Amino acid sequence: MKITTREVVFGLLILVALVALRVFWPTVKAEKIPSPTVKVTAIDSTACIAPTEYMRSHHMQLLNEWRNTGARDNRPYVNAAGKKFQKSLDTCLGCHSNNTYFCISCHQYANAKPNCWNCHLSPLDKP
Amino acid sequence: MNEERREFIKKTSFGFLAGIGVTSGFFLNFLMEKTDTSLWADKSIAGTIRWGMLIDMRKCIEGCQKCVDACRLVHNVPDFGNSGYQIEWLQKKPYREVFPTSGEDFTGKERTGKSFPSLCNHCAEPPCASACPTQATFKRFDGIVALDYHRCTGCRSCMASCPYGAISFNWSEPRPAIKALNASYPTREKGVVEKCNFCPERLLKGKLPACVEACPEKTLMFGDLNDPKSEIRLLLEKNQTMQRKPELGTLPSVFYII
Repeated sequence: MKITTREVVFGLLILVALVALRVFWPTVKAEKIPSPTVKVTAIDSTACIAPTEYMRSHHMQLLNEWRNTGARDNRPYVNAAGKKFQKSLDTCLGCHSNNTYFCISCHQYANAKPNCWNCHLSPLDKP
Repeated sequence: MNEERREFIKKTSFGFLAGIGVTSGFFLNFLMEKTDTSLWADKSIAGTIRWGMLIDMRKCIEGCQKCVDACRLVHNVPDFGNSGYQIEWLQKKPYREVFPTSGEDFTGKERTGKSFPSLCNHCAEPPCASACPTQATFKRFDGIVALDYHRCTGCRSCMASCPYGAISFNWSEPRPAIKALNASYPTREKGVVEKCNFCPERLLKGKLPACVEACPEKTLMFGDLNDPKSEIRLLLEKNQTMQRKPELGTLPSVFYII
């Protein structure tokens, strides 16, 4: 097989173009994580049903479980400390609606669109 | 497929399953899931409570809508102002519509000429719960026929099976049609059914249902039908009462004195 100069030059051009693309590709950075804009009075976070770290990563799983069982299972939710809670979004909003943007500030950043607020009144909807 | 290939697939799939078995041991249960079921001390035993209502029509004031309005307000029931779209948990209907099969055709107008509060009967044998394909409508431990809106697919089988027409469907987005929004109760969304729920959120706090509380004449009496000493049971024993369409065998928990 004979390789012509034209082909070599063409190949090199493609290589240069690819390298240039990689070098000059605009770097996409995530937006800054929004910090809650509204100053709220400190809530006793120790009273939450689970440690903050756990809630931050697993609140959706917990809420899903509450949603699936809350209506038909009348037993309260018992956390690791043995404290009982009613399986209701109102249990959460009892403290967290203190900050109107508590849910939405993260969800907007993460582009998470939970359908809770189709029916439940979010702190933003509350009159 | 030749033998070798068949063996290979068999062995790799066994290996895959074994791998799953081994890895599941590495992930410890989360702290939250370590709840002991013996902690449920306050669990109600099924069948011990059966909430019921007695509507004493001798006391009901014609034209009064206080119970209906209270229900609308408490549960964010939308008012579309259009009979095709209308949603009713509790409404006052003429005698013929409430008791279409009763033999009281020729009873005096002073008894049958009124409009009767009609609501979900919370039947002991609810046909809507049997009809629901997703078990969104179900009978609770306390006799209340409840609706889990999260599970409702909007098929309207319950509406077709309910002999009392107590269930309404949200044909359009209900929230704009709610006049006064009650922040302590959710709304519904387009495409789900809704009906009277005997206010379990109020019962939980030791309060009576909103309609019972709103009635100025104590027309509506609420209580436990399984408790022989309850006020409702004493009234049921002393008075002649009616149920809606008793011949259907749905065993309604709502009784009327006409």
